[in-house]
Parts: sequence; C-alpha cells; structure tokens
Amino acid sequence: MYGTLEADRVAVLVLALGAGSVVLLVCGLAAPSPPAVVGSFVGVAASWSVSAWTRGSGAPGGTILAAVGIFVAAELAYWSLEQVSVVDEPELLARRAAGLAIRAAAALALVAFALAALDLRTGGGLLLEAVGAAAAVALLALVLLLARAGHENPER
Amino acid sequence: MSRYATPKLGAYVLLTALGLLGALIFARPELALIALPFAVALAVGLSHARQPDVRVHLEFDSERVLEEDEVALELELDARDSASRLELLVEIPRGLELVEGRNPVALRLERGEERRLDLRLLCRRWGAYRLGDVHLRARDAGGLLAWEQTLDRAAPLRVYPRPEQLRELVTPRETQLFTGNRVSRQKGEGLEFADLRPFAAGDRIRRINWRASARRGDFWVNEFHAERNADVILFLDSFADARRGGTGTLDQAIRAAASVSERYVVDKDRVGLVNFGGVLNWLRPGTGMVQRYRIVDALLNTEITLSYAWKEIDVLPRGTLPPKALVLALTPLLDDRTVSALLDLRARGFDLVVIEVSPLPFAEPPPGRSGELAFRLWKLRREGRRSEYERAGAQVVEWHDGTPLTAILEGVSASRRHARVRV
Repeated sequence: MYGTLEADRVAVLVLALGAGSVVLLVCGLAAPSPPAVVGSFVGVAASWSVSAWTRGSGAPGGTILAAVGIFVAAELAYWSLEQVSVVDEPELLARRAAGLAIRAAAALALVAFALAALDLRTGGGLLLEAVGAAAAVALLALVLLLARAGHENPER
Repeated sequence: MSRYATPKLGAYVLLTALGLLGALIFARPELALIALPFAVALAVGLSHARQPDVRVHLEFDSERVLEEDEVALELELDARDSASRLELLVEIPRGLELVEGRNPVALRLERGEERRLDLRLLCRRWGAYRLGDVHLRARDAGGLLAWEQTLDRAAPLRVYPRPEQLRELVTPRETQLFTGNRVSRQKGEGLEFADLRPFAAGDRIRRINWRASARRGDFWVNEFHAERNADVILFLDSFADARRGGTGTLDQAIRAAASVSERYVVDKDRVGLVNFGGVLNWLRPGTGMVQRYRIVDALLNTEITLSYAWKEIDVLPRGTLPPKALVLALTPLLDDRTVSALLDLRARGFDLVVIEVSPLPFAEPPPGRSGELAFRLWKLRREGRRSEYERAGAQVVEWHDGTPLTAILEGVSASRRHARVRV
C-alpha cells in the first residue's frame, strides 16, 4: 500500500503486485506451503522495486522500512509455519519474540548503515555492481555447499 | 542425528539471490537493500549453527496396569549442548490416550540443563505395549538448519483386561485327583454329605452318625464327597475377528478369558490355554498366581494372524489337553478350522462348552435385496453350526456384546444342572 502511494506511475501494477503477494502469503500460511510464502515475499519485493523505479534513480528513504518490513514479515511467516507442527512453550515463545525484536532492530540499523555508507543516491555505479557480483558468486558457493551437505545425508 | 536445510534456509537464499541479481541486472539499489537483512541472517545463522546433543530417558511409574487405569510417563532430558528449539514427540500407540501433559512439545534447553516432562496416559485397551519411540527435531537459533533423530527407548507396558465380576463359573463335570474347592462325585474327605454305610474297622469315631445308629441298632458312619480340583482349558479362537469402531469379538473373548481364568485359579483349579489361530500358542494347565499371570500375558500377545494352513487338534502337544478337562471355548464361529477342531474335541470325550462371541453386533447386512438374503443365509449357516454342536453333545451359548459375562455363565451352569437332572 505504501509502495502504491509512493509510486509516480503504474500505481495499479504496484497495487496488484502487492495485493497478489499478500493473498499468496495468506494462502501459504493457511495451507501451509513454504513455496507460496517465498513467492509472496518475492512479489512484495518486486512491488516495492517497481514503485521505487517509477521515482527514478536512487534508493528512496522508505526502502529502509520496506526492507525491514519484508524481513520481519518473513521471520514471522516462518515462525508461524513452525507452529503448525508443534506450538512453542510460553518460555520459548517469549525468548523467540525477544530474538525477533533484536533481529528487526539489527536489520534496521544494517540497512540504514548500508544506505549511508554506500551513498546510494545516484543509482547503479561500479561499487554496487561489484557488490552484486560478489554476492552472486558467494550465493552460488552457498547453494553448492548446501547441496553437498544434502548428499552427505542419504537417509533423508 | 540427520541434518537438513529447512524451507526457511532455501527461501532466504532465494530471496537474497534474487535481490542481489535483480539489483545487478536492473541497476536498482532497493533490491540489494531488501536482500541485505536476509543475507546477513543467513551468514550469522549458518556460522552459529551447532548440532544439539540431548539425552532422553523414559520411564513408566508402573509396568503393569489394568484397563482404564492411568499411568505416568516420565521423560528426563539432559542437554549436553544447547538446543534453541527442540521439538519432542513421544509415539503413543493406539489403545493409550494422553490425558495430561503436552505431546508433542517445543522447548528450549540450555547447555547442561536437565528437564523433566510428565505425561499421563489413560490405558483404553488391554495389550502389551512397547512405548518409547521418541522423535526429536532440533533447529538452530535462526531456524535455518534442522536435525532429526528417532530414539528407540522401548519401555514395556502391560495393560491387563479389567476382570469382570463373576458370580458363578461353569462347573466341570469331572474332577481331578488334587485337592480343591469342587465337590467330587467320588467319596472321600470333604464337607458335603454323600451317604451312610455300616461301621467298619478303622473308621473314626467322629464319623459315626449317632442318630442313624440309634435307629438301626448298629453303628453307621457318614460318608462325604471328596473336594477336588478340576482341569479347565480355555480355548481361544484367534483365526478371525469381527471388528467395528475399535472393538471386536477378539477383545470380548480375551476379556472373558482373563476374567474366567482368574476365577478358576482362585478356586484352585488347574487352568490351561489353547490359542488356536494363525499362530498357535498353548499353556499347559497349572495353578496359582504364576499361572494366572502366564495366562494373561499370553492373552495380551494374542492377535489375529492371517493363515490359510489347515490346523487340527493333533498339532497340540500331549499334556495340553488333559483327560476329563472342561474345555471352555470362546469363538465367534467364523472359521471352519475352529468349528472342526471343537467337534473333534467333543468326539474325544472332552466336556465342551462353546461360548459363541457373536459377531452380529459388528456386522451389517450388505445393501440391497441380495445382500439381505446373503446375510440371512449366513445367519442360518451359523444356526446350523450351533445345532451341529448340540447334536454332538456340546453346549453352545450365544454372547452378544453388552451382555454381562456372568449372566452367560450362570445360564450355562443352570442349563447343565437341568441336563444332569434329566439324565
């Protein structure tokens, strides 16, 4: 909704993407279906990106809230999925809530720091491309590592 | 413990990858910023993920209980290494029901922490249970990796059928040589008056019947019926079972066998068991508490085993069916092998009483006219079988679910008394 209000153009597209993602998230939690939950967050991120794109180059200030919001929503969604099989004891519930609050605060600080440190005002640039390439390689390595770990446990 | 990646790890990796690649391709920094918390959560979560080490000990407060009793299950958890979120599930077999405590449960254990969990289970059905497969699933603090393990902590629990109150038992026609509570037809030492006879050298003075002696002018002594025990063989048909809604003819038969065996043992009779079914089991006749527990333990292990092999009485070892024993058969009369074996027993001269555990309450006529006709034919065939037993001189009594066993046994006893009078 925030992305729709901020969008200069194609507000309907942003709204449709956002609303579709929310519906998918609700379905994913009700089903429960982890792939649907992932899809919904991809949709929300895409909706925000389209909204930001309509406002030209540079990351808008609302990106901090959007990034933290999506992260917290993802944490809560996977927490909910875990509750489907076994509900947490009250003591564990309190500790996890505290942990989530700390992670949300850390994410907020991290995104704000990244915005400030990288001075992301002018969209793109060599620095951002270098970070993106490094991250892509690191992710590929992580995926390979996880795949190998999966093969080491043939009983699963 | 087997380790695997949770859906959350896959989702975070995908979101990070898409965010960073999207930022790179479309030259949009927002996507990279959205991906950043996920990337950091992945890095921190995976670097701190450790396999938990939790020991589980499981114990019942009692290993032998009666049906409808409650039993406490104590679980002791000893965390050698911390577990951020440990899900614990104790597999509870059918027949037991959780009435207190939480199962499954999710909890957090610190390193070196010991935790005790108490569960109360209601024993709904008799049986020999092996409870104790404990399923553990632990997640790291970030919920990215999970470890699963199944611990086989088999704790035996024997749930005995609750014995029914029986006012009367079927009295065996013949008694054996050992002392017991049954009035024998033979004369000997006992309390029940049998007859009078003239005094003979060696007779004790206390046995002289003074009134009869005064009337006849000579010494006459009282004679008594000896008090002996009897042999009772419980013949349990486990070839077939009619079931509906968690209960069936076998359950009914086993409850009856447990109740009856207990009462006969209390009356000092020797009780044996023949479990005639897909798997053949037997217990030679014996007496006392040990024999009672042996019988009930054997009954608990009874189950229907599908078998097409033809079995006859000859397969039983010598001594399992002693001469002059009362054979009390508990059968739904569904299998021809049992029908034939019981007729064979009667032909060999055994005192046979067949308690037919009726499968009718567990059966419904199939829909349609032909189904109804088939059902009627089936019932007629059953009546034919009953007549066959009666022609052979064995008593058959039909026992419907819900009728007290004591009423059935009293009916059998009364019928046997009348039969004796007629003879």
